[in-house]
Amino acid sequence: MQDFDDDPLFSELLKEPRQHQLLGLLGELSGATWRFHAEPKFSAQAVQYQLNDLAWLDCEDPSQNTDAARRLVEFVLSYVGKYRLAASVHLDATEAGYAELQRQHEALKLSEQRYRDLSGSLQLRVDEQVATIKKTQQQLYDSARLRSVGQLAAGVAHEINNPIGFISSNLTVAQEYLGELVEKLPADQRDDFLIGDFAHLLQESSVGASRVAAIVADLKTFSNINQEPYQNCNIDALLATVIRLIQAEFDSSVAIDWVQGDVQLLLGYPAHLSQAFFNVLVNAAQAVNDGGKVTVRSRSLEGGGIEVIIYDSGPGMSPEIVERVFEPFFTTRDVGAGSGLGLTVARDVALAHRGNIQLESVVGEGTRVRLVLRGVTA
Amino acid sequence: MQSETTPGGLRLTLKVVFYGPALSGKTTNLTQLHDRLRPQRKGELMILETQNDRTLFFDMLPIGLRQANGLDLRLKLFTVPGQVQHDSTRKAVMSRADGVVFVADSDPLQQDNNAAAFDNLAGNLQKLGMSIENLPLVVQFNKRDLPAAVPEAELQCVWRDTPWSPLVMASALHGEGVVETFERLLERLYGGLDEFALATKYGLDKAGFVEQLSRSN
Repeated sequence: MQDFDDDPLFSELLKEPRQHQLLGLLGELSGATWRFHAEPKFSAQAVQYQLNDLAWLDCEDPSQNTDAARRLVEFVLSYVGKYRLAASVHLDATEAGYAELQRQHEALKLSEQRYRDLSGSLQLRVDEQVATIKKTQQQLYDSARLRSVGQLAAGVAHEINNPIGFISSNLTVAQEYLGELVEKLPADQRDDFLIGDFAHLLQESSVGASRVAAIVADLKTFSNINQEPYQNCNIDALLATVIRLIQAEFDSSVAIDWVQGDVQLLLGYPAHLSQAFFNVLVNAAQAVNDGGKVTVRSRSLEGGGIEVIIYDSGPGMSPEIVERVFEPFFTTRDVGAGSGLGLTVARDVALAHRGNIQLESVVGEGTRVRLVLRGVTA
Repeated sequence: MQSETTPGGLRLTLKVVFYGPALSGKTTNLTQLHDRLRPQRKGELMILETQNDRTLFFDMLPIGLRQANGLDLRLKLFTVPGQVQHDSTRKAVMSRADGVVFVADSDPLQQDNNAAAFDNLAGNLQKLGMSIENLPLVVQFNKRDLPAAVPEAELQCVWRDTPWSPLVMASALHGEGVVETFERLLERLYGGLDEFALATKYGLDKAGFVEQLSRSN
C-alpha cells in the first residue's frame, strides 16, 4: 500500500515535460544546456528531496554554477512535494473518514432493521404471551378447583358409602319381609291398595338407593379412594366387556361398530379403565338413541401408547357445552338423570394413565372422543 | 519504518510523530529541533497549511546521516494537528510510525485535554494495529515556564508506575528540554532496530546513534 509519506520518484514529483520546461528555463538563464541523469555521474550534483537523492543535474558548460542551479531545482521540488503531501494526506484522511462513515451507516442500517423486525413481531409475541398466561391461569384454576372438589367428593363418598350400603340391603330385606307379611295376613284383612303401594314405595326407594350407590362409586373413582394395584390390561378385552354392558343397558337398540386394533397390553387399573370407557360410551349411546351409529376404534400408537376413539353420529354439542364437559357435576341431563361426573372421571383415568382425552363435537354431525393411554409408570 | 538493502549497504527511514492535545507546542518542538540540531544531514522544515497558526495537516523535518560504509539513515519527524476534529488526519500521519513524542500541556486547566489526547493516541495506535505499550514513546510536559504549571513532583508521581516514567520537562518556546526529549526518544528508538545489527555491521552503537542525530549547537 502506498503511504502518503513514501519517498516519491523524481518523475512523480516532476513529470517529464515539466523537467524539460525547467531545464529550458535554466538554459535560457545561463545560455548553456542542462541535463538530468537517473544515475550518479561525475561533475553532476545530486538533487535531493527530503534527504533523498532523486536525480543528478549537470551542465555541458563546466564553468556554470551547478550548485545554484541544483538548489533552485530543490526549491521548486520542495514546493511541489509540499502540495503533493498535503493532497495525499487529505485524500488518506478523507477516505478513512468516508470508510468510517460507511461503517457507521451499515451499523445503523443493521440496528434499524433489528428494531423494525422487533416491532413487527412484537404484537405477535404479546399475543402469544397473553394466550399462554390465559391458559396457565385456566389450568391453575381448574386444578385448584378439581383438587377441592376431589377432597369434597372423597369426604362425601366416605360418609355416604356405609349408610347407603345398609339402606340398600335393608330395603331388599324389607321387600322380602313385606312378601312374607302379606302371606301371613288373613285374606279378608288384606288392603290390596295399601300393600301394593307399600311394595311400590320400597321398590322405588331401592332403585333410588342404588342410584346413590352408583354416584358414590363414581365419586370414589374420581377421587381415587380405592388404591387398587395396577396390572397388565388388555384394552380390547375391556372394551368388549363395556360394549356388551352398554348393549345390555340399551336393549341392543344401539348400533355399535367396533374396529378392533389388536393393541398391546397396557399397565393400568382395569376397573378404572372400564369405567372411563363406559362413561364415554354411555354418552355416545344416549346421543344415538334416536338413530345413528357409534363407532369404537382402538389402535397402538407409534412411540408407545394406545389410542381409543369413540365416535357417535348423534346431534352433537354446542361449543359452549363442549367447553365445560369435563367440569365436575356439569350435566345437560335432567336433575337426577346423570351425576355430571362421567367425563370428569374419564379424564382423571386418562391422566392417571399418563394420557389425555380430547372431545370434538359439531352440532348436527356428531361427537368424537379420543383417549390416549400410555400406562402408569411401574 | 522503511528499509531497503542497496548495492552499497542499507537505506533506513524511521518515522517519529509528535502527538498531543491542541496548542501543547508540537510545532514549536519541531521548529526548535530544526534550529538547534546539527546532525550530519538536515533537510528543510516543511510547514504545511496552517489556519490562524494552527496546524491543519502536519509539519515535517527530515534529518539523517550517511556513512561511508553504506548506511543511509533518515528520520522523518512529523507533527499531527492537535485539534479534536482532525482525527482522520492524525490517524493518517500516525500510520507506520516508529516512535512517538507525546507533548503534554503543563497548564492545570489542560490536564483533561492531555488525558483525552493520550487516550486518542492509544485508540488510533490500536486501530492501526500497533500497541502503545510496545511503541517507543516519550512523554514531555511542555510550558514549564507557565507560572501556574502543575508541579513537576506531582506529575512525576502520577506517571511513576507507567512505562513512560520519568517524564521530560520542557519549555519549548525557550528551547529548553526539546533536545533532551528527542535524545530520550532516540535511545528508545534504537532498541527497536536490533534486526539491522547497526552496531556490528555499520559500527553505529546506541551512543553514536543518539549523539549523531541529536548533536546540537
